[in-house]
Amino acid sequence: MGPVELLHMSVFSQSFSPCGRFLAAGNNYGEIAVFSLSAALSPDASEASQKPILNFTAHDGPVFSLLSTDTHLLSAGNGEISAWSWAELIKKSTKAAWTRKPSYETSLEIPEINAMIINPKDNSLIVGGGDNNIHIMDMETGIFKSVLKGHTDYIHCLCFKEREEEILSGGEDGAVRIWDARTNRPVHCIEVFKYEECARPQFGKWISCLATDSDWMLCGGGPSLSLWHLRSMSPTSVFPLPGCQREAVFYQDLIMSVGEGPHVSHCLHGGTVKAQIPCTPSSLNTLALNLKNSEHRVMTVGGSSHQIDVFTNFSYRAFSLSF
Amino acid sequence: MSLCVRARMSIKFFQLIQLACWRMGSITDDEVIRKRLLIDGDGAGDDRRINVLMKSFTKWCHSSFSPEEGFSQYQRMVTSLAQCEFSMGKTLLVYDMNLKEMENYEAIYADIEKSITSAHEKIAECKKEIQRAKRIRKNRQEYDALARVIKQHPDRHETLKQLEALDKELQELSHIKENVEDKLELRKKQFHVLLTTIQELQQTLENDEKTDSDDTQESPMENGD
Repeated sequence: MGPVELLHMSVFSQSFSPCGRFLAAGNNYGEIAVFSLSAALSPDASEASQKPILNFTAHDGPVFSLLSTDTHLLSAGNGEISAWSWAELIKKSTKAAWTRKPSYETSLEIPEINAMIINPKDNSLIVGGGDNNIHIMDMETGIFKSVLKGHTDYIHCLCFKEREEEILSGGEDGAVRIWDARTNRPVHCIEVFKYEECARPQFGKWISCLATDSDWMLCGGGPSLSLWHLRSMSPTSVFPLPGCQREAVFYQDLIMSVGEGPHVSHCLHGGTVKAQIPCTPSSLNTLALNLKNSEHRVMTVGGSSHQIDVFTNFSYRAFSLSF
Repeated sequence: MSLCVRARMSIKFFQLIQLACWRMGSITDDEVIRKRLLIDGDGAGDDRRINVLMKSFTKWCHSSFSPEEGFSQYQRMVTSLAQCEFSMGKTLLVYDMNLKEMENYEAIYADIEKSITSAHEKIAECKKEIQRAKRIRKNRQEYDALARVIKQHPDRHETLKQLEALDKELQELSHIKENVEDKLELRKKQFHVLLTTIQELQQTLENDEKTDSDDTQESPMENGD
């Protein structure tokens, strides 16, 4: 990997292992790197422990989405989903457990897969991508059981509401659609760009990040990052962040979001931006919180750089892992 | 002074130092002896005094002095003995002091241990408090956000009042409409009565005219006969 390739690398996705001690990151060259967090966070960490323990090419195209189940790491590239066993990855074996493709209507193009989530209630995998549809696959049998159609442009992000078993999807067409997971029917459609307080026509109408926390929803992208109350379907707070936000999460009483701009923004539900923590990449694509393991409770962000910043105390950058 | 007394004194001296050192830390016998030899040698200090005392005592016993010289020798020996006793008393006090210092340090150590555990407990408590406070802050923020949205809608009382006023207006208007309709009915009936009477009168008048014209037609016909 020459210096020019390193310069042009972007990290698109991250996922922590089920035990919480390893981090997998996917980049635009189709590679997945596995980092050992316990080595990097230990008191006698060195330069070498900030390099991946395993780095392999998983897909032809960029790895846009990574997801961890209890035993496997799922990665999505150009139109196909591969599963890798975490136990095998830790032992440095790079053989995929399985590779599957959703059934696409046209066989001419292979649309990329942008987002994957798991429905824990019926153990199914929900993927959304370039063909404007959401495909649902049963994890045990591997059969793609249903397709949710409704978006008119490709899907950027997916989210799942556990209590009501609803799938939320945000896409390039600016609509956030809510689907019922049990009956696979559309329930609501919110066109965020039509609301004056959120809309930013200079950036466009696309929605690139979605997050939910029981009755509340965060969505952002072209329109400003805004907090919505889902029962009344109304925007309650709009966050005055200058760039387009690519990923946002709810954490305790804060909202953390990353996007254009070399910082992580901490915001409060009321609409104020509490802090902006600087990071090394010039713009960020992905944010991940390791809440499964209380010893290695870190936040990692990656973006348009070959370095992934690690935050042990969420208020400042501790160190960086690099590809 | 007999040899055994001297021996006992020096042994006691040696034991005191050893005890003091042992209490202060785990120093071995060798170190004590080494230290003692270094400091005292056989030249300086109490041991020398004891040696000198013993020598002068034996000399005093065996030699024949004049009474004054003998007495002065005796005085010198008594002073020397007093000095030895004084230094022994001093060492005993130092030993007591060391014991008390040790107790003091142990008490402080126990105190510090207790305060460390209580500080740990306080930290855990504070962490729980922080979690509670964060939850409360989040709830408050959500409440505020919803309240802002709700405030944008008009007040419920006002809308109710407007509804009531509209209701009243509606009622009044329907009242008026009923009255007007009743009046209309009444007028219709009155006109109907009027018209029928007019028509009947017309009929009677016509009938009368007819009978009148019939009468006049019949009478000339009778005259012509």
